[in-house]
Amino acid sequence: MLELDSVTAGYERRAPVFHGASLTVAPGESVGLLGPSGCGKSTLARVAALLHRPDAGRLVLDGTEVRAWRHRAPRAQRTAVGVVFQQPRTAADPRLTLTELIAEPLRATGRRAEAADRVAALAPAVGLTPDLLGRRPHEVSDGQLQRACLARALTLRPRWLICDEMTAMLDASTTAALVAAVETYRAETGAGLLAVGHDRVLLNRWCDRTVDWKDCLTAAP
Amino acid sequence: MADPRTHRLRLWSSGLTVGVILLAVLLVPPLVQLDEQAVDLSRKLLPPSWEHPFGTDDLGRDLLLRCVYGLRISLLVGLVAALVATVVGTAVGAAAGALGGWTDRTLMRLVDAFSSVPHLLLGIFVVALFRPGVWPVIASVAVTHWLSTARIVRSEVLSLRTRPFIDAAVSGGAGRWRVAVRHLLPAVLPQAGLAAVLMVPHAMWHESALSFLGLGLPSHQASLGNLVQNARSSLLAGDWWPTLFPGLLLILPTLAIAGLAGVWRDRLNPRRRSELML
Amino acid sequence: MTADHVLRALAAVSAERAEGAVLSVRGLTVRFRLRGGRTVDAVSDADFDLGAGECLALVGESGCGKSVLASALLGLLPGNAETSGTALLAGPEGGAGTDLLAADEKTLARTVRGRRVGLVPQSPAAHLTPVRTVRSHLEETVRALTGTSRRARREAAETAAERAAFPAGHLDRHPHELSGGLAQRAATALALIGDARLLLADEPTTGLDRDLVDRTVDELRRHADEGRALLLITHDLAAAARIADRVAVMYAGRIVEVAPAHRFFGPTGPRHPYARGLLDALPDRAFTPIPGMPPELSDLPEGCAFAPRCPRATVRCGTRPAPTAGVACHHPEQPRA
Repeated sequence: MLELDSVTAGYERRAPVFHGASLTVAPGESVGLLGPSGCGKSTLARVAALLHRPDAGRLVLDGTEVRAWRHRAPRAQRTAVGVVFQQPRTAADPRLTLTELIAEPLRATGRRAEAADRVAALAPAVGLTPDLLGRRPHEVSDGQLQRACLARALTLRPRWLICDEMTAMLDASTTAALVAAVETYRAETGAGLLAVGHDRVLLNRWCDRTVDWKDCLTAAP
Repeated sequence: MADPRTHRLRLWSSGLTVGVILLAVLLVPPLVQLDEQAVDLSRKLLPPSWEHPFGTDDLGRDLLLRCVYGLRISLLVGLVAALVATVVGTAVGAAAGALGGWTDRTLMRLVDAFSSVPHLLLGIFVVALFRPGVWPVIASVAVTHWLSTARIVRSEVLSLRTRPFIDAAVSGGAGRWRVAVRHLLPAVLPQAGLAAVLMVPHAMWHESALSFLGLGLPSHQASLGNLVQNARSSLLAGDWWPTLFPGLLLILPTLAIAGLAGVWRDRLNPRRRSELML
Repeated sequence: MTADHVLRALAAVSAERAEGAVLSVRGLTVRFRLRGGRTVDAVSDADFDLGAGECLALVGESGCGKSVLASALLGLLPGNAETSGTALLAGPEGGAGTDLLAADEKTLARTVRGRRVGLVPQSPAAHLTPVRTVRSHLEETVRALTGTSRRARREAAETAAERAAFPAGHLDRHPHELSGGLAQRAATALALIGDARLLLADEPTTGLDRDLVDRTVDELRRHADEGRALLLITHDLAAAARIADRVAVMYAGRIVEVAPAHRFFGPTGPRHPYARGLLDALPDRAFTPIPGMPPELSDLPEGCAFAPRCPRATVRCGTRPAPTAGVACHHPEQPRA
């Protein structure tokens, strides 16, 4: 289970972006979180990915309560959650080639030897051709870069996947292709999904259930 | 953005100047085997001629030769000081930006403390602690010049730290060290390198200033600052060449290096690099 | 009625349209020269007309060349771009027209941008100067475009804000104090000041919520209904479906189909296999992607660029199909039942 329980978070202690948000994703389940821009749903996604320490509330991941965030979190806990962000341009280190980008999590965790095989397996799964893999981010389109960012999130075979507005910048065909790649991965591994977005039609079609942001907010400020 | 032709002209003229200067200071001393200290009082203060293109000084020493030797010392001091200052500045700035919290506050107060003392005064204080020589001058210039680099690198690291690609690296299991070495440092190094190059002429001016005040290198050693200092009395007597040529040699590398740095800065601009606007 | 008759009828219709067109583009080609002698064919042979009161949606995936086309119309391409073809912008009140591609920078800056072509930008927040209020933006634009006297300027700015439905109470705010929707309206107000007859909206809804997308495009539609010509460049098919009169589909730098919006989005559907695939990828339709990826614009195939991904491709697709009745395809799909 991925359980967010009465989470309050923000970027200034005195003025949190939201108060008391709760949300649960069961293993293998896909949940769409629907909300207007600026409501704080992306911050909640960052909390769930252990990237942002909440001011209050709990995150329980597979029965273990998370007590440390970012670098302080145990590596196994951190890498159990894969993240895909809205803007591939800012989410990719401009100096790495797409191959290096996808292999980076393996190299960072000291499993360099597996990198070549894993990249070779992931690239076709997200629809990247070999000639694209040697290029750097500024030499590929947004859609192609987002495919690489999705592959990077899948590299360590996470049990949970968080897609924060993954397709907001993309055209219909690339959107459908990326969603299909996520669903294929989930069918193979049984991973849970939290998809954050503002497109109701898309999330309804994609996810098992869709939650409105205002229904997440249980506790009053 | 300048149009491509002036751009190319700037690149070539700057590159050529730097090249000639480097060749001169590297090759002339070992190849010519002339003594730049050779005194010949019978030929003192001769104006520029074919025999002595830059003229001679008040002790009859050839000024062209002394200028080349002076440039050599000044460039050496400038390069080493800039290098030391950049390494120290990058390390301090990166540590402050990447670690944040108390480390950041302490390091930045240290930077503030250093910058609150006037540059030259601090430099004079450092050289005064030692006997005159090359190393105290380098140390004094380096101590006063790492501050701006530290600030630049810190702010660059701070802005990089909030980018989603750092989040993605953290989520992919990268530790602090890995994030710093793999993602942050490569991003700030071009900026730091540019700062280092721009600092070389600045450091040369500082060396000259210290020497001009009589606090830098020993006065018999030919450095550009010493040459100008020695020429002061003859300038009052109307002999212009002992001041003009060392002065020009101080300005020329400054302009040339600034020109090269400008070209480099344009290259760093990613919009130019990608060429396309798709 | 033979196919020949249909063609002639269509040609007559488009000729008539060209007559009264605000913008008439013929053979627009943009090519970038890269270092190492490579060339990128960003836009090839684009033909279309745009009449007053009409909204043409130019759709296609990111990187297909549609934004380059917009930049070409505004003369805002980088130095390494080569353009050919014509883009005739009708003159004011029967005056002489201007070829946007041939006009020099001075003409474009002094008489075209802002005055005869208004640009609604992609990210309004980045389009506005952060340190100045909306009012000061509007007044400066009024001064630059119309030279109104200082006293009348205030009133002109307020009128401009009203026209774009920007609330007067927010005029003294800075861009960062505005919501995404209001920032978009402020940018639209700026685009409308010069009373341009052609509005160019380049991805005006990127990153906005669905409600806000609807509101933004509805307002654009309203400006078209007032007699302006609107070129809406977008990858958001739902936004295009909401307001467009006609849809032009761009693939790999070419316009592969131009169709009336009601036919394109209606039960009949588009006829080009790519356009059909694009619609089928929508989450409220089949939600299936088109297989493969678009070709590199620097390495386009000889024939139809879509053939490698096309389910209907045959040997004939090795030659480039000429646009016939608005579709550039050897095997256009038959209208759906």
